[in-house]
Amino acid sequence: MKTKLLLIIMGFILLLGAIGAYSQDEEIVVMDTSAFENTQRPASVFDHDIHNEMAGLEDDCAICHHVYDGKTLVEGESSEDSYCADCHSLSKTAENDVPLRAAYHKRCKSCHFETNKGPVLCGECHKN
Amino acid sequence: MNAFIDFITGPMVWISFLIFFAGVFIRVFRLAQEANSKEKFMFSYFSWKYSLRSIFAWLVPFLPASTRQSPVFWGISYLFHLLLFMVPIFLLSHIVLLEESLGWSWISLNDSIADVLTVLVILALVFFAVRRLNVPEVKFLTRSSDYLFILIVALPFLTGFLAYHQFFFYRTMVIIHILTGELMLILIPFTRFFHMFLAPISRAYTGSEFGNVRQARDW
Ligand code: HEC
Ligand code: HEC
Ligand code: HEC
Ligand code: HEC
Repeated sequence: MKTKLLLIIMGFILLLGAIGAYSQDEEIVVMDTSAFENTQRPASVFDHDIHNEMAGLEDDCAICHHVYDGKTLVEGESSEDSYCADCHSLSKTAENDVPLRAAYHKRCKSCHFETNKGPVLCGECHKN
Repeated sequence: MNAFIDFITGPMVWISFLIFFAGVFIRVFRLAQEANSKEKFMFSYFSWKYSLRSIFAWLVPFLPASTRQSPVFWGISYLFHLLLFMVPIFLLSHIVLLEESLGWSWISLNDSIADVLTVLVILALVFFAVRRLNVPEVKFLTRSSDYLFILIVALPFLTGFLAYHQFFFYRTMVIIHILTGELMLILIPFTRFFHMFLAPISRAYTGSEFGNVRQARDW
């Protein structure tokens, strides 16, 4: 009897899995992931202009698009003409200790934690 | 809510590891103290060689004769214990978090492989529960707390699986996942989970006695 119950529960979980896998969401704006090899997660949700308007960041492009001289941050200059991947490699380098994946995560999540707003869990950005 | 998540993924992780290590240290220390006062003679035949030989022999699947007598149970048990450690340690999400907080990283399992392995862990736990319910000699030795411990191990894997697939109540799932994972770590020194440390200690004890005193193998 109890064996049957456990089997039913397992079956139920697998069924939910199948339903989840085949339900599709509507169109959402996501990040370009071409800088990564063999991506493991769905591209992160990020609608650049809408995001920055909602978060009140239109005047401070350099929060994300920063400029460095060696290892020191250059205040008051911004780098929106460069990709993050131009300076951040997939793994640590001598010039840059912050790999690309960590660069995104640190930048995006630290502000969401500080402002107590916005997504901080994997699946809230990497939406299936 | 972000502040709460910040707490359970930050300070609470440190607190859990601290309790884990302190608990393990205290229990191993007490055990050594007790052995010293009650069975001091056993130190006279303790041997690293025979201890390690015994531990190693019991780590090799199906080397010990008794494990060959119930191959299904031991096969599942070996696999379960291997995955119990391997999946969390080599899980990409865990490494991603570690990379952000400490700058550490190592090779990770492919997410879809980890997904299948997680299901195997859950199935193994279901097997253990069913076995306790049905096999008379195991049932006889089973207390209701045994099911609770199976549940405590199952929860982080089950909620991790559900969260990864983002089926429903995503935030809640991740929060339960994190909290039960930390709970498990905290409980290890103070519950049956302590067999993680007792098993090698008792192998060392038995191995030394068999090797040095009885001049026999203990597997
Ligand atoms: C919250 C962080 C953030 C802020 C603030 C921000 N951006 Fe960006 N922006 C990004 C990211 C991330 C990308 C993608 C970079 C990449 O793919 O390497 C990007 C890309 C761009 C691009 C390149 C788009 C393309 O497709 O080639 C431009 C241009 C740009 N941003 C301009 C701006 C300007 C101007 C501002 C200030 C008004 C600004 N950004 C503020 C995060 C930000
Ligand atoms: C012009 C080159 C350059 C570009 C473009 C660039 N970075 Fe950086 N970034 C650096 C350097 C250099 C460092 C310092 C690394 C070190 O300390 O070793 C750094 C550090 C960081 C850090 C860690 C320090 C901090 O501020 O918290 C983060 C996070 C980061 N970058 C995110 C990003 C993101 C996200 C983008 C794209 C929107 C980006 N960077 C674009 C060069 C760049
Ligand atoms: C300087 C602060 C800051 C940075 C940096 C930042 N965000 Fe945000 N983000 C916010 C705030 C604030 C909100 C909440 C806006 C609201 O709901 O009013 C938000 C909301 C979001 C949302 C939810 C939007 C929605 O539709 O509800 C997403 C997705 C998001 N951020 C992604 C990102 C990503 C990806 C990055 C990194 C490239 C990033 N954010 C960097 C401040 C930031
Ligand atoms: C605030 C939004 C945000 C959160 C939360 C977040 N990520 Fe990301 N992540 C990004 C962005 C932006 C990128 C770079 C663009 C991309 O790949 O979507 C990225 C890249 C990645 C990559 C490299 C690309 C790939 O798909 O292989 C991995 C892996 C990843 N994230 C895993 C995770 C995991 C695991 C978590 C939770 C522990 C997580 N992320 C949480 C925004 C986020």
